[in-house]
Amino acid sequence: MIKSYKLRRGLANTIIYIILAVLGIIWVSPLVYLILQSFSADPEAIPQSLIPASYGFDNYTKLFTETSSLNFPRWYANTFVIACFSCVISTISVLMVAYAFSRLRFKSRKKFINIGMILGMFPGFMTMIAIYYLLKAMGLLDLQSIFGIPGFDGPILSLIICYSSGAGLGYQISKGFFDTIPRALDEAATIDGATRNQIFWKIILPMSKPIVVYTVLTSFIGPWTDFILAKIIAGDKVNNYTVAIGLQRMIDVDHKNQWFKRFLAGSVLVAVPVTALFLKMQNYYVGGVTAGGVKG
Amino acid sequence: MKRIVALLLAAMMMVVVFASCGDSKGGETSSTNSGSGSSEGQTFKNAGKGFDANVSDADFGDEKDATLKVWGPDEYTSLLTEQCNAFKDKFAGKVKKIEVVVQSESDSATMMQNDPKAGADVFGFASDQFTNLTNAKILAPVNAKYAADVEATNNKAAVEISMAKNATTGKDALYAFPETGNGYFLVYDKRVISDKDAKTFESLLKACQKNGKKFIMDVGNGYYACMFAFTGGLSLEGLDGSKQLFNDYDEAKVAASLKAFSKLMHDYKGTFMTDATAAIPSGFTSTATRPTKVGAGIDGNWDTSGIKKALGEKNFGAAKLPTINIDGTDTQVVSMYGYKMVGVNANSKFPRTAQILAYYLASEECQKQRAEKLGWSPTNNAVVDSDTVKNDVAISALLAQSEFSVPQANVGSIWDPFKAMGNTLIADETNPDSYDFKGLLEKTIKNINS
Repeated sequence: MIKSYKLRRGLANTIIYIILAVLGIIWVSPLVYLILQSFSADPEAIPQSLIPASYGFDNYTKLFTETSSLNFPRWYANTFVIACFSCVISTISVLMVAYAFSRLRFKSRKKFINIGMILGMFPGFMTMIAIYYLLKAMGLLDLQSIFGIPGFDGPILSLIICYSSGAGLGYQISKGFFDTIPRALDEAATIDGATRNQIFWKIILPMSKPIVVYTVLTSFIGPWTDFILAKIIAGDKVNNYTVAIGLQRMIDVDHKNQWFKRFLAGSVLVAVPVTALFLKMQNYYVGGVTAGGVKG
Repeated sequence: MKRIVALLLAAMMMVVVFASCGDSKGGETSSTNSGSGSSEGQTFKNAGKGFDANVSDADFGDEKDATLKVWGPDEYTSLLTEQCNAFKDKFAGKVKKIEVVVQSESDSATMMQNDPKAGADVFGFASDQFTNLTNAKILAPVNAKYAADVEATNNKAAVEISMAKNATTGKDALYAFPETGNGYFLVYDKRVISDKDAKTFESLLKACQKNGKKFIMDVGNGYYACMFAFTGGLSLEGLDGSKQLFNDYDEAKVAASLKAFSKLMHDYKGTFMTDATAAIPSGFTSTATRPTKVGAGIDGNWDTSGIKKALGEKNFGAAKLPTINIDGTDTQVVSMYGYKMVGVNANSKFPRTAQILAYYLASEECQKQRAEKLGWSPTNNAVVDSDTVKNDVAISALLAQSEFSVPQANVGSIWDPFKAMGNTLIADETNPDSYDFKGLLEKTIKNINS
């Protein structure tokens, strides 16, 4: 047994740091591989070595110039539009639902909370086929033939509707946060003559920056990563694909042997807006999760 | 409150019910006047004379200004658009618009089954999806007049694979137009392997080893691994429900074939490599500082253009699969060979026009263009015998291999068991001299039907 406390602590720390370092390397290495290979200028279509022999921007430029068969820029723009719209709509709806459940007392409030909980427990893909047929029956999938506006078609609108309309169910964390804001503030505002609506916009929201940011982030990331629903809804309308379906298409049987490196480049690009938004709002994000979690 | 919610829900239901009702009605009326399928006893004087002799304006019935949607794979899109435009010009006034949409053949059958009414009117698909599509009643039967011509002008195996029992007549009828053959063959670097070396597995591997190059095939993939058993005489005989049927094979012979392959893999360890086929075009690529890694491989026609680009036209060699020495006799390796077909959606709003377009896309003219521009192997006899095909080493190799193949149709869940078998054959722990290959075969067959 080692007697010296200092030595013992040093030893324990070394072991812990080695374990953490190994875990860290395992976690980071795929990302490093992805980024390195996306800049690879090797002639082979499929990487032959872990670290490329030469570097260049070829894969990126090709991704944006050779768009005749797989139109990545178009898909990128589609996803960006979907993400922006559903981010705004779902953020507002989530916060409003959370505010209502946190501050208002109305009949069957408890029941609605329970229903929301139960509905949230079902896996999302369960209803996807039903959603597809409902959208189709309402004629929302083929707007091109109705309006004939070039570039404006159903799947994008449908995806925005799908991503934002159910979002209100994810109110729990925001409600937890609102619960921590003293009701005395509401009461003071009411005495000053503010309506419920004014309280929400002018008192509660400015005080809830962390949770707003958290909601914005999660609802913005959703469309970039969702595959199954987008695939079902987009069907064969290639121009309405999102990046998730597009990237998958780059590595299917027909394209893998030519597109693999461009797939890697595309994956890196998908991470860009999400990462940018995240870095910008990072400080609030952590605050939001912990603050909402206390009473959640 | 409750009442309002209930009312809203009810209204919503009504909207949905009515909307879907109108939809299905439209589909039904439009599909009633599609082709009648081949009928016995009728003879067609123009059978065998090709597309132009068999199609006249009268065939369109009262359909005009049709708008059609066509699905084709990515590499074929630009040629397909050209061909559709040619079709439009050929029958002026009959067709208003043909929309070409990229949809890979491996995916199209699934997409079609998800929602047939949203699918293409005319679409390409792989032959192993044929039964699924006919069972789901998605394919419209081919008009008897065209069917007679297709049967007379196309490769027999390709036609047989496109037949299914017609529910109303109870007879076998054509349900899709064969478009191209699809399979794998031997590709090699002529600087490493001579044409003579490419004839047997033994000489091929020896040449690779001598030059320090690798031979690559995807042993851990059922599509390729089935050849180890097929070479020994095993064959697929369709499906009974979901049960895979086999021919009356000789167990000892199949086991001997497995043993021979396993022995080659172990004798040429380090040369005989298993890897995804993507490694083949990459392995043929060389740079100023890095030589090629691969001498030969087994790959399909879909990679041919990539391999030609990597090796250069001059060094590109292709041949049917080599022979392997099993207990002293050189035996031709037997492969899996599939087809791609053009199908007509039974829900098409313009069934006659769609049918004629599919017939055109599968005709001699279009098959020839595909062989010339894309290197797709033809099923039309006249194109098979043409100089274009004879001068193309890759198509010739594929056609030569098709003579020694098991057709890829009505295939059950064979892929994973064959994959496991392939992995066992090449595994380091497997000692080819003492391993129980008969047991391995029995296990594989059992797994296929479990």
